[in-house]
Amino acid sequence: MATDGAQAGAAAPLKVLGRRLARVDARERVTGEARYPADLALPGMVHARMLRSPHAHARIRRIDTTRAEALKGVLAVVTAADFPELPVGTMIPMGETGYDMWMVAELNMARRKVCWVGQPVAAVAAVDVHVAEAALALIEVDYDLLPAVLDIEAALADGAPVLHEHVLTKGVEPRPKTPSNLCSRTVIGRGDTQAALGQARAKARASVRIDTAHQGYLEPQVVVAEVDANGFATVWASTQGQFTAELMIASMLGLPASKLKVVPLEVGGGFGGKIAIHGEAVAVRLAQRCRRPVKIVLSRDEVLQGGSGPAAAAMIDIEVGAGEDGRLVAIDGTYRMDAGGLPGLSPSLVMQASAALYQCPNLNLVGYDVVTNKPRTEAYRGPGGIQAAFAMEQAMDMLCERLGMDPLEFRKRNASVTGSTMPIGTPFPSIGLTTILDRVAEHSCWRDPLVKGNFPRGRGLALGYWRGTSMTSAGHITIAGDGRPMVTMGPVDISGTRTTMAQVVAEEFGLALEDVHIHTGDSKSVGYSDGAAGSRVARTATAALVEASRDALSQLRKRAAEKLQCAADQLDYAGGAFRARQAGGAAISLKELMAATLTDGAVIGRGVSTKLPLGVEIGAHVCDVEVDTETGLVTVLRYTAFQDVGLALNPAAVEGQIEGSVVQGLGWALSEGFDYGPDGRLRNASLLDYRMPTALDVPKIECVIVETPVPNVPYGVRGVGEVPIVPPGAAVANAIARATGVRMTRMPMTPERVLAALQG
Amino acid sequence: MKTLIDCTVNGEERSVLADTRDTLLDLLRDRLGLTGTKEGCGNGNCGTCTVLMDGAPVNACLVLALEAPGRDIATIEGLAQGGELDPLQQALVEHNGTQCGFCTPGILISAKALLDENPRPTEAQIRHAIAGNLCRCTGYGKIVEAIAAAAAARGR
Repeated sequence: MATDGAQAGAAAPLKVLGRRLARVDARERVTGEARYPADLALPGMVHARMLRSPHAHARIRRIDTTRAEALKGVLAVVTAADFPELPVGTMIPMGETGYDMWMVAELNMARRKVCWVGQPVAAVAAVDVHVAEAALALIEVDYDLLPAVLDIEAALADGAPVLHEHVLTKGVEPRPKTPSNLCSRTVIGRGDTQAALGQARAKARASVRIDTAHQGYLEPQVVVAEVDANGFATVWASTQGQFTAELMIASMLGLPASKLKVVPLEVGGGFGGKIAIHGEAVAVRLAQRCRRPVKIVLSRDEVLQGGSGPAAAAMIDIEVGAGEDGRLVAIDGTYRMDAGGLPGLSPSLVMQASAALYQCPNLNLVGYDVVTNKPRTEAYRGPGGIQAAFAMEQAMDMLCERLGMDPLEFRKRNASVTGSTMPIGTPFPSIGLTTILDRVAEHSCWRDPLVKGNFPRGRGLALGYWRGTSMTSAGHITIAGDGRPMVTMGPVDISGTRTTMAQVVAEEFGLALEDVHIHTGDSKSVGYSDGAAGSRVARTATAALVEASRDALSQLRKRAAEKLQCAADQLDYAGGAFRARQAGGAAISLKELMAATLTDGAVIGRGVSTKLPLGVEIGAHVCDVEVDTETGLVTVLRYTAFQDVGLALNPAAVEGQIEGSVVQGLGWALSEGFDYGPDGRLRNASLLDYRMPTALDVPKIECVIVETPVPNVPYGVRGVGEVPIVPPGAAVANAIARATGVRMTRMPMTPERVLAALQG
Repeated sequence: MKTLIDCTVNGEERSVLADTRDTLLDLLRDRLGLTGTKEGCGNGNCGTCTVLMDGAPVNACLVLALEAPGRDIATIEGLAQGGELDPLQQALVEHNGTQCGFCTPGILISAKALLDENPRPTEAQIRHAIAGNLCRCTGYGKIVEAIAAAAAARGR
């Protein structure tokens, strides 16, 4: 078979991939030209604001918008009554489970009741934001207050007020007939855990609680919507997935898909928080009503105070046991996840992730998804991973102490390898955990003794696993009149994807990076692609664009064969030119070929990836801390992240993902946590009081990249961005324990909490 | 109520009508179309709106447009000269010091203010100078390296 382009996984040396190249979109970023939705101003554009619930739990008896509508400058007011009611179970496609539109609708406009402070109840479009704000104050909402449940225990208590009458716990047999706040129970198990724990030589138990944290993207959600004279709506949004957004908007409005397109602009950070829509459908409805383009910009207070989902709080108990030989015999885990005001993600992935890296014959993992009167939570980078690892990796560390074993040696002895059984019972595809652990053992971050400081210092080790997903990615390549590939990719770029994918196409075409032009298509100009989430994009978009490149080159090959008057399979392709194979054979460059055949019709190569193997992510982190025993302040002195990435498409981009992800994890570990008052209001809804790390709070993160290719994936690429946020909480906690002998059971580990723990 | 504001922006004399409630950030973004300066929080905590006012870095969201008359304001749009990137911009490109890019303009302005005052900063001084600029993507390491490299390049 004549194959164009590089052979995926073949030994041919890579020319563009694997190199440390600057981002193709770096220039517009450093000059301020990169365009985010907030930068858009359309002729005649008006501004909208949302009225949000001041109550954590209340029935809406009546909403009167008459006075707001009468205010001069107000152009339209909408409430839930202006949207079709979507029953529970109105599903749209999304990954492996789909997405319930009832929840998306509630997230965007509450109907009949509110379940958290900040849930939208009405929206106003007006000539400017000041008028819109003034109008909000004129909307009268008659609330019937209900008692609220603000944490997992309160939500599960007997007689607790119930958020949703339709929630009958899934996963419990027989299925309950009365509603509760427990949405689902998930069990993963094998063997006899209780018996194994009973016979274990050493046991350890970690019972921890993790506060809600926020994705913390610096760009608040923004949408601009315009509806033309024929009713066609265009939505410019800060979104991780233009197709998911389109499905959600169309469903919320009852709009046919052919009457709508979503244009993704630059995304100023998403991390999972920009998968669902937050106001997009509302903006379109307002634009339909006032016949002017409508812009909604969320304030930072709205972003934090219930306008966009934070990550789940959790209560997790892990008990582990090992035999005389230091081999694990059992893991028993209970994972209670606080989903906020609407049912959340299944805890299954989190449960699997936390136990996946250990070979263990007896497993009993039980997960609970619980609703409370707090903002509906959303995905945040390896959703649930850091919470579960905070418990599991501390339990393992405590077990090492009981066994008198070195924590690295313990991990080596129990590490999952290629082919060992995953928690769900299937064998592990190719993984490089043992390689990672060997690299840790030989690295100075592990070997160098701790330098004495003014306060106790300790070194912590923690592992992280994230499964990721694949789903669908599409793309196409049009060959320009000068022979250069113009790439339209489906997935939104939130992690430098345009750069790495331009590298992929350059590699396939044998061209330089600067010869490839790339952009992300809108939802009507490229094939359906799922959102940029679950560490799926680099791998699946690579597969799609390898296919598209080869398709385009095969079309070009036919044209070249005609021009050079030889059989297509007698042509060699390299470096942007076809050459007849016989001695002294004629050659034609892509530029010459397109110049000669421009009027023969377009050359468009197409590619799609739908069911690519997973690219599971594994990391090991080593962290040195100093604990100020007078103030409780924990300083991270050194931090090294080891990660298997399959192939680093662009090592600088890979490091960027790892470093950023680790620092988000350190933020949650040490300072980021939502502080709710008894009324369900967030008390630290600002970036001063919600403390994300600054440049002064973290050291330079060192990265050690390991490359174990994933079989049957072009170039063997793995996911990268999610797993580095998983170990930091546990790595820091283990370091604190080794410095002070004190175990932290609550995250974030703020100075106040550390000091309290030190004082017993 | 509207009022006329006369000020210098990136070396150009500008005369513009502003609402008395406008911040300097509104003036730049909405009235002058200089959208390179970003709004991340609106209350001075994130640093994405950092601009230079008479050479000193300020959060444009905390300055009223009414304070702008007679001032010399520099924004990200004025950093590259004649299509040539400033060494700081070039270093950020080369060191992959920008990811989502939303904090980038503010970081560059803070870094410019630093190097204008202290051409050979230590790493600690660099970290201190950008401590008012949150970045959620990079973990800061590559930004700090880039600023150090730009300082070294300037020194040569």
